[in-house]
This record gives sequence, structure tokens and C-alpha cells, in this order.
Amino acid sequence: MSQPKEIFVRLDRCVGCHTCNIACTVEHSKSKNLFESISEHPTPKNRVYVEWVPTDHKVPVLCRHCEDAPCMHACISGAISRTEEGVVITNSHKCIGCWTCVMVCPYGVIGRHLETHKAYRCDRCPDLKTPACVDACPTQALVYRTVEAFSGDVRQDAARKMISEERR
Amino acid sequence: MVAKQTRYVIIGASAAGMAAAETIRKLDSKGSITALSKEQDMPYFRPMIPFMITGKKKFSEMMLIGQGPYQNANINVRLNSTVEAVHTTDQTISIKSGEELPYDKLLIATGSRPHIPPIAGIEAEGVFALRTLSDARAMALRAERTKHAVMLGGGLLNLKTAFALLERGLEVTLIIQSPEVLSQLMEPNDTTLIRDTLIRAGLRMITGCSASRILSDANGVNGVLLDDGREVVCQMVCIGKGVRPNVDFLSQSSIRVDQGVVVDRFTACNALNVFAAGDVAVTFDSTTGERIVTGLWTNAVEMGHCAGRNMAGQPTEYTGTLGILNATQVADVPFVSMGIVHTSGTDYETYVASAPKAYRKLVFTPDGAKLVGALFVGDISRAGLYRYLIREGRAVKGIKSFIIRRQLHYGHILKETI
Repeated sequence: MSQPKEIFVRLDRCVGCHTCNIACTVEHSKSKNLFESISEHPTPKNRVYVEWVPTDHKVPVLCRHCEDAPCMHACISGAISRTEEGVVITNSHKCIGCWTCVMVCPYGVIGRHLETHKAYRCDRCPDLKTPACVDACPTQALVYRTVEAFSGDVRQDAARKMISEERR
Repeated sequence: MVAKQTRYVIIGASAAGMAAAETIRKLDSKGSITALSKEQDMPYFRPMIPFMITGKKKFSEMMLIGQGPYQNANINVRLNSTVEAVHTTDQTISIKSGEELPYDKLLIATGSRPHIPPIAGIEAEGVFALRTLSDARAMALRAERTKHAVMLGGGLLNLKTAFALLERGLEVTLIIQSPEVLSQLMEPNDTTLIRDTLIRAGLRMITGCSASRILSDANGVNGVLLDDGREVVCQMVCIGKGVRPNVDFLSQSSIRVDQGVVVDRFTACNALNVFAAGDVAVTFDSTTGERIVTGLWTNAVEMGHCAGRNMAGQPTEYTGTLGILNATQVADVPFVSMGIVHTSGTDYETYVASAPKAYRKLVFTPDGAKLVGALFVGDISRAGLYRYLIREGRAVKGIKSFIIRRQLHYGHILKETI
């Protein structure tokens, strides 16, 4: 079985431009168009958060679709389930807005839509080949890869660094 | 030789029982899993039963199997099956029908039942303690000929029920002994925003009072006599005075009971191959270490998972829970209450901030090193981060100021860790 892809964050590459926020919001709008989406109702919501930590670190955070997802098990209405691709999704028709998922998410990435009274989070853009945030990221701080491929990259990077330091 | 199929028997087919069943199935594809329910309905999401009163959801929309994580576990659910005794020496249980059912691994997940205070006249028709779907159906039926309902107790269950009845156009009066609502989840000073929203919603409240008698005639309940002599005319009474573990059927067994079923850190009872989880089990608070019996869906599911792993032969330690761990929305005001939030007369380092539409209280250990409790009213975003810190019991060090100002985000935690 081919491994499902995940969104990985490369902290050292994020410059805090928030392009991902816009791409995410637009993708989760009805019109899928920046200008029209602004006036839509319910307001389309961004699901990737670029946090700032002093002295000057930018940290993109989004749903990790946890293997043992606390939100899914805590949900008191059965609204949260996992797709075959491993994506944890909230079925907004079933969501009753009790916010138990918000209380248990250790990443703080489940939002509350106040107009619809529903919880929302990253759905990894089911209609796209590559999630909108990843596609939009100008520095490739967000990448969409399998765990295997991504950890391979990390290993290679580390090896490269070690070799270049030895040569010095 | 073919390995013998393990017979898993689960008494109680709600949060803890079904979570355990689901976990067992993941680890053991061959064993038989039988979940016994004394109810007449297939397992459902119990916290949703107020929707049965409003009529906003049908039963099919509350069913558990096939929803969320409860998929394809191949569990044999037997309804209308009240268990009367557990025989730990020959590893069988007795069902009310007279049947004896053998088990290799047994889970006691019988949950809890409403505590009914000894008030004169409480057995009258039209007095409810909402617990099961059948209760909700009966309430919905009674609501049709009810103008005014009286709720005894100001806990979360009664508030939710009260809103369901208000939605149906009933007049509702809440009678509470404490000075404010939700006294288990917050202190009187913390309730201002919630109290305002209750009043705006049209709920009447009588505080510092309790019912001394429930009055009735041939049509059932027709009033409540209060301990200050007042009489409130009503056609329905709802009791929300907490819950008690369902342990009566264990009185003849060797299983140790102290309030609830006593379990070790691996959710095992004192009898071999018997486990317990959920409302019926005595667990412990991960912040205080105190032994507690909780009545929370979320806790029950978590403990059920743990018990399931232990039953399927994967020893897993239960890390305890928070005695208070509630999130909900009362009318338009959401709130989250977690860990230690009752701080009056204690040395806990407490920070309170109040704004027109948001209130927060953050509670640290007396030395200020660890976060032990958080209460958010109005704005509950990212509450999970605070729960994580409370649960882990980690020194908050450099991120304390962000916690107090409620600006914490995952970036802070990440940078503290690496």
C-alpha cells in the first residue's frame, strides 16, 4: 500500500509571510476566489496558523491528524472520523458545537465558526492534489510528502551538514 | 493447533464499553466481543439526548456504531440484558433472563445513574432524572402537556435540559441550593457571564433553596414545595443532582467496590481477568492524585480505550484524568473548565481577568511553577493547549506570562521543548 502524504513544516524556512493563510481561506470558500470570498457568508475560514515566538521564530501550526486523535475520541456526537487516507475530518452536519474537540486538541488548531456554530480544521484539501497552503508557500516551509520521503530528506540534509562540517 | 478465541464480555454498551470494544477489535481480530446493555436502544451518544427533547435530532442521528471512530468493530450488542451477578471463580455472569454467560476477559462499564435525593413525593409521574434515551422520550411526551418545568440542581445536565425545554416553549425555573449555577465547575464569582445569558434566555432562577416536597395529583406532579415555604406550580420536575456508579449487581461478588469499582493502574479489578472503566470505576485525578469517580463521556472513552488494550493483552497504564474537564456552550456563551478551578481559601496562585464578553481564570500551584487549572468563559479558543499543560504537569517556566495573558499557542510549547 502506498503511504499517504502529510503536510510537514520546515521551521527553518518559514519567513512568516502568511501566504498559506490566504491560500487556505480561499480554498475553503465557495467561490475559491480571493476577492469574492471576502464577502461570502458564512465567512470562509483559515485553518493554518502562523505563530510567532520571540525572539523571532515563525511557527506554522496545523492539524496533525494525530494517529491517536484525541478530538475524534472525545467527540460526543460522532462527528469526527478518519478517512481512508488517514485524514481526520469533522462532519459539520453532525457537529453540535459543544467544543469538546477544542478542549482536547493539544495543538490548538481546531477553530470555532461562530456564524455556523461548527468546529473546523485542516482537511488537507480533499479536492486538490496538493493542499493549498503547501502549494502557495513561497519558501517551501510547508511540504506535502510521505513520512518515509520526508524523513529521508531530513536524514540526507543532516548527513550533508555533517560532511560539510568535517571538510571545514 | 488453532489458538483459542478469546471471549470478551463487556457489561454496559456506552462510552467506556464501546470504546473498549473498538480498541479490542483493533488488537484482536478473532476474539468474540459481546456488549450487554440493559437499555432498549442500540448504543448512542448519551450527551446528545437533550436533542430528543427538542426534536432537533432523530435517534438515527445519535447512534454510535458506524459514526466517528466506531466503525467495523464487529461487536455483538445485546439489548435489554441486565446483568445480575458476576461469578469470578468460574468466570461467568448471570443475566436477568436466567442465562449464564462465560467470559475470558470481562469489562465492567455499567456507568452511573442519577442520584435521587430523598424528597417526599419524588416518585410522582412527571418527575424525571434524564439519563437514558427512554428518559428523554418520556420527557418529550410529558413536555407536550407541561406549561412550567422545575429543575432541581444547577449542574450542566440540568442546564442543557432546561435549554431543551425552553426551546420547546416551556417556562423553566431552576432551583439551586448553591448561590450560583454550575458550582461543580466554577466558583460563584466566575459565573457572571453565564448567569446573564441564562436570564436573557428566559430561565428563572431561585437560589439558596431546595425542594422539600413534590406535590402531585392524578395527573402527576403539579407543584414543588420549597424549604422556605414557597410553592411553585409546575407540571414537570427534573432532577440533576449528580450521578452514582452502578455497582449494586456486584454486592455478592468478590470484586472490590468503594463508591465505584476499584481498579489498579492497569484498569484491572482485584479479580482475575476483570477490568473496569468509565463512570463506574474509581480513577484518580492526574493533578491532585486524589481518587475520583467522574461522570464524563470523554473520560469514559479514554479509560475504555486503556481497558481495551489491557484486556487484549497489551498492558497499558492509565494515566488518570482531570476530575473537572468540561466544555460546552450555554446559549451563546461557550465555556471550558479544566483541573483545579475552585481556589477560594486555598494558596493556589490564581490569575483572573474579566472583560465584557470573556472571563478567564488560570490556576497555578502555590509555588507558581505548574498550571493546574483553567477556566475560560466566552473565549475558549486553544483551550486544548492549557489542558495539555495541566495534564502533563510540566513546569511552565518561560511561557507563564503567555498563559496568564491567554496568548499561548503551540509555537510557545514547541520552543520550550526543543
